[in-house]
Amino acid sequence: MIAELGHIFLISSLVLSLSGGISAFFLKKELPIQKFALLMTLLVTGAFFALIYSFVIDDFSVAYVAQNSNINLPIYYKFAATWGAHEGSLILWILSMNLWLLAFLSFNKSGSINFSNIVFGVCSLVIFSFLLFTIFTSNPFERILPVPPLNGADLNPSLQDFAFTVHPPLLYFGYSGLLLPFAISIAAMLSSVPNRDWASASRPWTLLAGSFLTVGIGLGSWWAYYELGWGGWWFWDPVENAAFIPWLLTVALVHSLIVTENRNLFINWSLLLSIFAFAASLLGTFLVRSGILTSVHAFALDPERGLFLLGIFSFFVLGGLIIFAFKNSTKNQSSDYSINSKEFGLLLNNLLLVVLAVSILFGTLYPLIYEAYTGGKQISVGAPYFEFIIFPFSLMLGLLQGIALYLSWGSTKSFNFLGKLIIESLSIFLLTLILLFVLFEDLIPASFITIFIFAWLISGSIFFNFSFRSLEKYLDFINRRIGVLLSHVGMAILVLGVGVVSSYSNEKELILDPGDKIKFHNKDIEFLGIRDVKGPNYISKAAEIRVIDDNRSFELQTEKRTYFPSGQVTTEAGIETGIFGDFYVSMGDNFNGDSWSFKLQSKPFIRWIWFGALLITLGTFVSSINMVRRLS
Amino acid sequence: MRRFLNLTPFIAFGILVVLLYSFLNQENEELESVLVDQSVPEFQLPELEDPENLISKSNINNLPALINVWATWCIACRVEHPFLMQLKNESILTVYGLNYKDDRQKALNLLERDGNPFEFSIFDEYGKLAIDLGVYGAPETFFVDKTGIIRERHVGVLNDKVWKDKFEKFLKEDNEDK
Repeated sequence: MIAELGHIFLISSLVLSLSGGISAFFLKKELPIQKFALLMTLLVTGAFFALIYSFVIDDFSVAYVAQNSNINLPIYYKFAATWGAHEGSLILWILSMNLWLLAFLSFNKSGSINFSNIVFGVCSLVIFSFLLFTIFTSNPFERILPVPPLNGADLNPSLQDFAFTVHPPLLYFGYSGLLLPFAISIAAMLSSVPNRDWASASRPWTLLAGSFLTVGIGLGSWWAYYELGWGGWWFWDPVENAAFIPWLLTVALVHSLIVTENRNLFINWSLLLSIFAFAASLLGTFLVRSGILTSVHAFALDPERGLFLLGIFSFFVLGGLIIFAFKNSTKNQSSDYSINSKEFGLLLNNLLLVVLAVSILFGTLYPLIYEAYTGGKQISVGAPYFEFIIFPFSLMLGLLQGIALYLSWGSTKSFNFLGKLIIESLSIFLLTLILLFVLFEDLIPASFITIFIFAWLISGSIFFNFSFRSLEKYLDFINRRIGVLLSHVGMAILVLGVGVVSSYSNEKELILDPGDKIKFHNKDIEFLGIRDVKGPNYISKAAEIRVIDDNRSFELQTEKRTYFPSGQVTTEAGIETGIFGDFYVSMGDNFNGDSWSFKLQSKPFIRWIWFGALLITLGTFVSSINMVRRLS
Repeated sequence: MRRFLNLTPFIAFGILVVLLYSFLNQENEELESVLVDQSVPEFQLPELEDPENLISKSNINNLPALINVWATWCIACRVEHPFLMQLKNESILTVYGLNYKDDRQKALNLLERDGNPFEFSIFDEYGKLAIDLGVYGAPETFFVDKTGIIRERHVGVLNDKVWKDKFEKFLKEDNEDK
């Protein structure tokens, strides 16, 4: 009964979003759009809760629940299973689009009535198309009648984990947040608002979407690291790329909007980027859910869904670009800035980010293009291509970011700061080198570049306004620019983590019998034995490992779990976490008796990657909240 | 000129949409992952020993048989190797190899050194057939009965115990039918 109620809620919001969207487009007068958005949000929330309810009471007559839950599944994961697969995640997606729209309408006070109406109209139509998609191809409320199963098939075991339960919602929140800049750019083209106004209306939401994307991607990377048992943190999997491309474009847009708001420049560029970022988020959805790319993230395949999503993508993106072609800002912009100005710096930043995004998109799609034009021959584009591409871009972006905060609008009077910057960078560079030298004893040439870029970024973001004489002024400055500083410092820390972990990681694969002792780096490792563990919905072989490291000793446990409803096997890695590095052990295959293969890995500085991502998340979050406050 | 320039993003994305549409059709013709009690999926892949020789489903014709997923990078595969040799030497049943995401030369060297238990090996460099079979690692073994239906699947090392527990009954079943 409750599931039917959820179904009715979905259908009502479908009707509302279509009628609301169309009337907002054509009626040029003040409409109660905020109340309308609230009503839609409440209906979708109702549907979402109806689905959660079906999970919690184990209503296996609902097909989606039967496929993704089980009586023995812990209650916490029954909640999380709601968005664990395609259908339920769409409901969450639609809910978050509604929440973004509602937040925009509640806080935004700038722009004309016409402007707000069009933003509302575009968002409602996108929401309508996703509702249509859900109801017709991916309805989570479908029943298995007349004979419902007694028990469900269970939630995919590798998803039964804390990080998983929060990673997808945050990522969906980020993806769907890109709807607002898109809708705002369409509204800016169709109504006549000053560029400064729409840019300042768009900035906080773009930043906030970027913040959610960053934390979502970061959590996903962290989850993959400890849950998949490979010890990697980024795999250049197509689905990761599908999230990385919108992230890059969002970062580009955040910077381009600064110029549009402050200098009335890059107007068409900002409009286009808003469309591109939204397109990238839709494209990612399409690639993942149509099944044309296979990956660890694959959802159930259904060609009809792919076609439907491609339809949504074409309609909104091509529609947006047609509007752009005829309604863009044709006024000649005064391009009155020199090569050493902030404008030029941001222009370079945008170029690099967009070219990088396009290269990654190309690498992701190339296997498909190749297959289509060679009649089925397959090729895979993996880490070597992407690493080859990303290295020079990160280097250039890094060099640019170091000086970017020093540049001023129009033209920077002098490059006096360069000397100061170099001295600061060198001192940080040396300090980091010494630190690394103490930790690793040998230094690899490749890591010098990383450390230098780290030093360059840190001194470029923190110290450029620093002096002991006016410490108070400096602290005040930090206080005002805390968001900017956090995110730029976060980037520096992330770069250091990536660089060190790629140059100093070590791994060893071997077979051990209980009682075996081996040496790995400076650690003595002993395999103590195997224990049988019984969890609520799995049985597990747990290997006890004792590690003796210089002066301390600790025990780690790695597991091979077999989840009984599905028979699927997962690996739980044993990880000793440290600021300067992790020790990572995962269980491989079983040989005779209690003899197992193990993979030992040392992962220096890996935590810095996620710490950096966290700082970027915080920084962008703080900045966007401050901007929203200023707007309203 | 300016109007045309304004249209370029539209044209670029139009091309992208057409491209994506063609991918979609291409993929629809392929099979989805195959589980137990379904027939072996269609495939066309080169033979390990002879890259020019393309192997398809029809080459797996000496049934019943095992399909064994292996690779040189997989330590556990070496552990089960002697057992596979035993299956071959005692003529218990045919084993077809599926060489998974491997280096051709390394794989050939290994077979040269340790013996070749396989009728032939399919060279699946990108894991194409493996995806259709739902393989998630090596070693993995599938039992295909004499009608070409996959009856059982084992993830992990194949040894005497696993053989007796999981596969032998299917072989007996097939023999009784004769």
